[in-house]
Amino acid sequence: MSMETTDDYQWHTGRTTPVENAAIEFIGVKKAFGRNQVLNGLDMALPEDQISMILGPSGTGKSVCIKHMVGLLYPDDGDVLIHGQSVPAMPDDDLFEMRKKFGVLFQDGALFGSMNLYDNVAFPLRQHTDKGEDEIAHIVNQRLDEVGLGDANDKMPNELSGGMRKRAGFARALVLDPDIVLFDEPDSGLDPVRTALLCELIQEIHAENGGAYVVITHDIASARRVAEYIAVLWKGQIVESGAATDLFESSNPFVRQFLSGESQGPLGME
Amino acid sequence: MSAISTKGNGWLESTGVLLRFCGRIMGEVYSLKVFRYFGEALRQCGILILSSTIVIWSLIFIIGLQCGIEGAYFNRSVGSPAYAGVFAAWCDLRELVPYSFGYMMAAKVGTGIVAELGSMRISDEIDALEVMGVPSMTFLCSTKLLAAWMVLPFVYLSGVGAGFFASYLAVVQQIGEVSSGGYQLIFWMFQNPPDLLYSVIKGMAMATTIVLVGCYYGYNASGGPVGVGTATAKSMVLNIVLVHVIGMLGTQLFWGANPRAPIGG
Repeated sequence: MSMETTDDYQWHTGRTTPVENAAIEFIGVKKAFGRNQVLNGLDMALPEDQISMILGPSGTGKSVCIKHMVGLLYPDDGDVLIHGQSVPAMPDDDLFEMRKKFGVLFQDGALFGSMNLYDNVAFPLRQHTDKGEDEIAHIVNQRLDEVGLGDANDKMPNELSGGMRKRAGFARALVLDPDIVLFDEPDSGLDPVRTALLCELIQEIHAENGGAYVVITHDIASARRVAEYIAVLWKGQIVESGAATDLFESSNPFVRQFLSGESQGPLGME
Repeated sequence: MSAISTKGNGWLESTGVLLRFCGRIMGEVYSLKVFRYFGEALRQCGILILSSTIVIWSLIFIIGLQCGIEGAYFNRSVGSPAYAGVFAAWCDLRELVPYSFGYMMAAKVGTGIVAELGSMRISDEIDALEVMGVPSMTFLCSTKLLAAWMVLPFVYLSGVGAGFFASYLAVVQQIGEVSSGGYQLIFWMFQNPPDLLYSVIKGMAMATTIVLVGCYYGYNASGGPVGVGTATAKSMVLNIVLVHVIGMLGTQLFWGANPRAPIGG
């Protein structure tokens, strides 16, 4: 366990806007990797039908949160609820069934290297539905068109740029019309223009499909563009969370420093 | 976590984790869960056939030549060149065909599995499978084991044929101190159908072990590309050791008590 002092949590006011209809809830979640306590009693609720962002400095456990949501990691203590169901308490078969609610966009797209773009996007449909190839082709082409990759469906992942891989991963994440879509740093490795375009795409598709979208990032510009709900995470706990408009007006010095990207403030290089 | 992905610290704990991993994969084949992904198993069969059979047969052919040459020169040196078939029969069927099959399986198939699964692990492809609701161990590992069991007995039997043919070429055509009929009389006298069955069992035990070890090291790879390379090397070392352990135990078990040699009536 890392050396903690009371000062580590002096900015964690716990101020939060109550979430009435939570899609995802973390209740007192603790998770350590060896001596590194990543989540330290995390309480967080993310609302249904909104684009939520989990913001925080690097290494604060944002990606670990995503892995807890889909049951790739289990908490050492506490609980994670998806639509009121406890993920750690689920038997394997229920867990695999529950995961069909999710679409996940990994940092680098996580496309299957042995399949072309079309087969990557068609994969979830072939595994989980009884649709014929014609119907699958219609859905896949529609999703690829939405992300601007309609002409690239026979390309292999190693022939795509980073931005194209992310968009392809986005198309694959959406292909089963999931209730919850998770984005693990969708802006990493992208130039500002492509980041802005990807954010627009996330907003457009959310407006069209609805559902709970959760974006993990430390990019403030992306947060300003797309976030409706923001949770600021540091040292394994939420500093503050609430509607994006409220958080950007927060008087908390840590939140203000982080959301304005200033060097002066409580957050240093340590 | 539903998948077994933690590595043990000590060798005893690591062995336990490895055995539990292997047991789970085999359990998913025996419980027929793997047949939900039979298409993937067939794809793996195709990969095995297209990418590995020729190299396996080639190595066994060369080893068959070696058994023939060794048998011919040894029997010449003890004054019984007509009995070169004794050495060739035992050398091929009981020992060197299984070993060479195991070596090439470990080098080609085992390391290929580690590299494939390891690269999938470090690029989050295995996590992506899991979050799509596809059980990755079943989809990636159990299908490979099923494919191995469907394809490799035939590859092995064909390999035995390649080894026999090579020994015949070496003894009868190359060295030529025994006639074709004389060689074959002795060659077939010193083996029978149960010997072939035991040889296949040896080879399949090696193949199963190699696939499972490859899956374990690939599925649990970590530490980026260097970690995948390290896992590949470790799997090769363990597989080569296990191939010899299986070879030794198989010989002891199948031919130790009764060598089934038609000598002395």
